Amino acid sequence: MSVWNPENVIDVAESIGIASLPRDVVEHLARDVEYRMAQVLEEALKFMRHSKRTTLTTQDISQALRLLEVEPLYGYESTRPLRFGEASIGPGQPLFYVEDEEVDFEKLINAPLPKVPREVSFTAHWLAVEGVQPTIPQNPTQADQRNQELSAKGPGANSTLAAMSGNDNVSVKPLVKHVLSKELQLYFERTCSAIFEESNEEYRIAALASLRTDPGLHQLVPYFVQFVADKVTHNLSTLYILTQSMLLISALLDNESLYLAPYIPSLIPSVLTCLVGKRLGSPSQDGPTSHFALRDFAASLLAIIMRKYASTSTTLKPRIARSCLKHFLDSHKPLGTHYGAILGLTMVADAESVLSLILPNLRAYNDGILQDAMKDDGKREQAEHVLDAILKGLKLLDADELVEDSLGDVVWAKVGEIGLV
Amino acid sequence: MAQQPPPSRTASAGPPSAGGMNAPATTPGGGQGGNSNQNLNQIVLEYLAKKGYSRTEAMLRKESAHTDPNGNLITSRVEETGGKMYRTSFALLQNWIDNSLDIYKPELQRILWPVFVHAFLNLIGDFYPREGREFFDLFSEMFQNEHKDDVRALAPITEPEHLQQNELTQLYRINKYRLTISRLAFTNLILFLEDHEKEGGTVIVNLIQTFLDVRTPDRQANGGSRGLQRLLADRNGERDYPAEDEGIPGHNPGSANLSINAPTVLSKLALGPMPMEPDLMEDVKAELQDLDGVRPPAAGQNSLVDEFEQRIKHEPMDDVPSREALPFPPSTARDVAMEVQKVKENRDRFRVEGRTGGVGPGISVTMFTFHNTFDSMNCIEFSGDNTLVAVGTAESYIRVWSLDNRALTSPADPPSFQPSSSRRLVGHSGPVYALSFSPTVAVPPVQVNGFTLATNTAYESQPRYLLSSSADSTIRLWSLDTWTNLVVYRGHQSPVWDVRFCPHGHYFVSASADRTARLWSTPQIGPLRLFTGHDSDVETVAWHPNGAYVFTGGGNGDRTVRMWDIVRGTSVRIFTGHVGNVTALACAPNGHVVASADDRGEIILWSLPTGRLIKRMRGHGRGGIWSLDWSVESSVLVSGGADGTVRVWDVQPNKDSNGKVVGEGGAGTKIDGSATNGAVTKTVTGKAKKDVIVSPDQISAFPTKKSPVYKVKFTLMNLVMAGGAYLP
Repeated sequence: MSVWNPENVIDVAESIGIASLPRDVVEHLARDVEYRMAQVLEEALKFMRHSKRTTLTTQDISQALRLLEVEPLYGYESTRPLRFGEASIGPGQPLFYVEDEEVDFEKLINAPLPKVPREVSFTAHWLAVEGVQPTIPQNPTQADQRNQELSAKGPGANSTLAAMSGNDNVSVKPLVKHVLSKELQLYFERTCSAIFEESNEEYRIAALASLRTDPGLHQLVPYFVQFVADKVTHNLSTLYILTQSMLLISALLDNESLYLAPYIPSLIPSVLTCLVGKRLGSPSQDGPTSHFALRDFAASLLAIIMRKYASTSTTLKPRIARSCLKHFLDSHKPLGTHYGAILGLTMVADAESVLSLILPNLRAYNDGILQDAMKDDGKREQAEHVLDAILKGLKLLDADELVEDSLGDVVWAKVGEIGLV
Repeated sequence: MAQQPPPSRTASAGPPSAGGMNAPATTPGGGQGGNSNQNLNQIVLEYLAKKGYSRTEAMLRKESAHTDPNGNLITSRVEETGGKMYRTSFALLQNWIDNSLDIYKPELQRILWPVFVHAFLNLIGDFYPREGREFFDLFSEMFQNEHKDDVRALAPITEPEHLQQNELTQLYRINKYRLTISRLAFTNLILFLEDHEKEGGTVIVNLIQTFLDVRTPDRQANGGSRGLQRLLADRNGERDYPAEDEGIPGHNPGSANLSINAPTVLSKLALGPMPMEPDLMEDVKAELQDLDGVRPPAAGQNSLVDEFEQRIKHEPMDDVPSREALPFPPSTARDVAMEVQKVKENRDRFRVEGRTGGVGPGISVTMFTFHNTFDSMNCIEFSGDNTLVAVGTAESYIRVWSLDNRALTSPADPPSFQPSSSRRLVGHSGPVYALSFSPTVAVPPVQVNGFTLATNTAYESQPRYLLSSSADSTIRLWSLDTWTNLVVYRGHQSPVWDVRFCPHGHYFVSASADRTARLWSTPQIGPLRLFTGHDSDVETVAWHPNGAYVFTGGGNGDRTVRMWDIVRGTSVRIFTGHVGNVTALACAPNGHVVASADDRGEIILWSLPTGRLIKRMRGHGRGGIWSLDWSVESSVLVSGGADGTVRVWDVQPNKDSNGKVVGEGGAGTKIDGSATNGAVTKTVTGKAKKDVIVSPDQISAFPTKKSPVYKVKFTLMNLVMAGGAYLP
């Protein structure tokens, strides 16, 4: 019945030299001890709750003792839950004890220092975008949350909402997960087909203009983003479609009434593809250098995105810079990719990145790739484009106040030395 | 443990009168069985007859009429069974209530808990530890659901002196438990108890008379809230909610006047926004005019000046607090910039409308997850301009990070100092339980053609001060310019659980385990006001948006939410109805509704002008809702808790089938107005075992990956920021 039985009281009494205690005193004491322990626990639970924990620690107990003006127990401080051992001292009489290893001082002093625990850090991610939880690794999968009650049940509950957030245990599963009005769907279809209409320029311009200015398109944004991503991945060899897709993105970016920040991460891949893609368009149809225009355009889009949204995500800039740099340093990629990567680097960051990312690699790049390409007649035209891009980047250095004049001179001297100019 | 003769008591010490039965000592040789005893009586009688002592003989016969042949007393009244009487009578009461008419049952069941508590306390007080234990074990099970914490707290009480020392039992003993039962049901109950007077009716009647304050309103007169229809609707499994006016501090619902004879009139509140300082108003207007000139409003948009005028104008002047009563330091250029920004954001933000037509608004949530914390984080706080996040730890220090990776520097740094994006504030000598940044608004740097002008204004919006409260009973004020401790506020005698800056800065309020909440102002080291009245720890505090009122939430044993006037220092509203400890509070920006959450996963909305419950919302798992916040339009509530979810709630009052607002008074709001519908009943009862029922008020729920959510916050642009620690 009780945790603390009268026998324990007798044991304790004997240990301090009280040989015989009357039975009723023993029982009374046992009950009282139990009550006091419960009282300490009750207080300790408060500390646990305010530490926003769900496990009680030894620290909570010492805090509770302090609050009850009792001398806390020393020597049990632990940030981790204590391990309990169990020993049997007879049939049905388990004994629990705290596992406490003996420590040899000699060994402890000579042992190498324990590893420093990892630094506390934080990461940010979208838990929900406009009421829908994105399926990214940071969010739990549906299997993880099966035992949680997430959606409301009953007649007042809304089945579309459950479906939207992806946890639809409800029997009705709407085909379209987002609720779109007929008019919006129609608008979406018409606009998409108009933008890729090759024969009628009027249509294209009208559609893009509508995207640029219409304030009521917010619900369609994810669809447009998805649409562009599809078009870009499936039509890498058709320059026209790629260009139109970029125009679509540019129109969305121009629209002041749209809030694009949550969708930027999904927009970036399409733009990057058009910037550093290995083979954009078909050289036989469009000519060997026409894709540079597309890359230019993609780079300018990237610049707009950076300017508007770099502040919303601290990781956006470094991520793009990293992937551009990777493409720039990959000598197996065609010159077009290098061109895009250099443009990207100059657009994404500023003089600083040119200084720290492009300049140190310039000599190797010049010796390894550019010089060869210049000599090759088939590639010369492309190589000149790349050279242009590099020079454009370097000019940034001149314009920027960050780079001191003397440093600028050094840079130009270095460039001259490499033999680019 | 040797079995003693049945009627005797287990403990040997005790007042001789307590038993009211003959002790074994009076029947010598009782242990040898009835035979010798009966023989002895026989022998004595024969002896008396032989001697002719006829009067003595008659007396002996008369006196032994109440004993059975074994010499034990024949009990005709249950009171004579000593410690057993409560058990018998409670079983009688329970049995009768279970078999009573369905329309009375929900009401009558409410009486079981207080009767149980006081019967148990009487047993312990009369020194029947064993009977008390048996009684407790037998009946406590049925209260586990609603009164889990109280049952746990009462369980170890076994001695009369514990009654004197335990805070919870004192609460029950000193106060009368208030309960409302409709007249007919109560009359029936009393009639039944009188009929069964001998089987225990008197015992129960005594308990009710001594410890309960039963109100018997007329069902007709009270209409909606206690109507028959209402009761019928309540049958569907909501019996584990106390009614709004039930509980230990006898009081009138909503009113802070605890006297039984208090008038039913509530004190009037000034819930309007705090009027602006005239100088500040002029400055802001001038600034807005300039801005309108630089950037004319787009088509269909108001100009900033219009927006501002609208905001000022539509305040009715009668319900605003007066500036004279609540002095603030004069405003600075920084305040002007912030007010201007507020007006701008008020015009430009993404509006979160209520749930009209079924589909709720789509809320975006950014989650900040902390790693490698080993569960040592106690609280997370975001600054008003969303550039800083502060964390209070169990290791007594505070750590502040900048969210945009900017280095946090101080003019006092030595030249060799390596600036990083986080800093530690060390000073407390106990776990840090709450943090609060001085109020700020993000003032974005001026943009020209999309390019940021590199000016210093960007970081002027950073909050200047941080408050922290700790288990060492102190509150500390930290400067975020120099990253040092400025002031230590001593006064509380116990750990300080919560501290909050006034929405206009300058003042702050703290809540402590010493059962008080205190109002302070930053320049003074002593408290300005003491808010006393809670019967247990003050667990959490929140400000009314106009800065003239504060709310406090009580812990185990009290569980009330109270509203205090900071000028007069008195309680103006009291809200009861929580069954768990209040863990979070938030007042709506419109100033008319306050939301409170408890550690049983329930959120309750209270209306301030009427002082009544608006509705209950369930969905969170057990373990505490750590944070609540309202959207700027007061249309949506967001909550985060220990179950690792962020949930979005519709705050519109539920409508019942007649289109009337339910939940004003009476027991908790129904899951839905149309809950009599068979389908719901089924789901509710089917899920009853799972103990989490999601009410349809929930708009959406976003689970995290094993990260309890410690803080949720709406930015002024209606984006939700959530903070939590990843605990694998």
